[in-house]
Amino acid sequence: MTRVLHDSMRKPVPEEGTRPGPVYRPDADILERADEYLIRVDLPGADEKSVQVRFEKDVLSIQASAGAPPEPSWTPRHAEYQPGGYVREFRLADGIDVDAIRASLQHGVLELHLPKTGRRRSRSIQVAAA
Amino acid sequence: MSQLERLRPFGFESWGGFGTLRRELDELFDRFGTSTPARAVYSAYPAVNLYETDEAYVLTAELPGLAPEELEISLEGSTVTLRGERKAAPEEGASVHRRERPSGAFRRAFDLPVPIDGEKVEAVHRNGVLTLRLPKAPEHRPRQIVVKAS
Repeated sequence: MTRVLHDSMRKPVPEEGTRPGPVYRPDADILERADEYLIRVDLPGADEKSVQVRFEKDVLSIQASAGAPPEPSWTPRHAEYQPGGYVREFRLADGIDVDAIRASLQHGVLELHLPKTGRRRSRSIQVAAA
Repeated sequence: MSQLERLRPFGFESWGGFGTLRRELDELFDRFGTSTPARAVYSAYPAVNLYETDEAYVLTAELPGLAPEELEISLEGSTVTLRGERKAAPEEGASVHRRERPSGAFRRAFDLPVPIDGEKVEAVHRNGVLTLRLPKAPEHRPRQIVVKAS
């Protein structure tokens, strides 16, 4: 199977400057069905207003801000994670109906449905004898 | 499966060594420098943070994808236990290109320094983050003593 979705996040990304704190590359699942691709991304803490999904030049980018910080009256006693924002990009190949991409967020998981256009990605070209 | 290894099924920890944990965590973030680290950096699942106020302990945990009713929280004296399962949705007829999100059963128990007032525990699960407010038993809350002039 040809890799239609190519993950381009191995290189560092510039951090978002709007809020202090770390920016993470969130965990994602990518599934392919007969008529669509399905991407699920864990974005714990991010609220739906902060989640931005953009598509530009074959790249689908997902950004989200960190959730509410701990209240000032809470004294930290033990820390295993540091809340932060999220950035991840996926390079999409041909064959996806970009205008029909749907996104929803539930319990901190972003679900993206990317319908296939049904166009064949490759075709063989007849070579005519000269 | 490597994703299951990240879930420690029977973890029981006390709050003894948080200095060390802290340091490890800081080093972990330093090592990644400016690149974006993946979230899966801590071995026990779920990763939790603990805070203290005068009246209560507050425990937060990131549990994306879990519906509130799928999470079981129990309290016994000063021990609070989180239990649940992140299920990988069955995908019949779908091919999997990438599966990074962890799945599997988890159980973590924490022994808090003081008994908890079980009647007043509040749990909120919002945007995949659990916030558990665990009020200290009344006799363990600080008390203001008024000094009267004789």
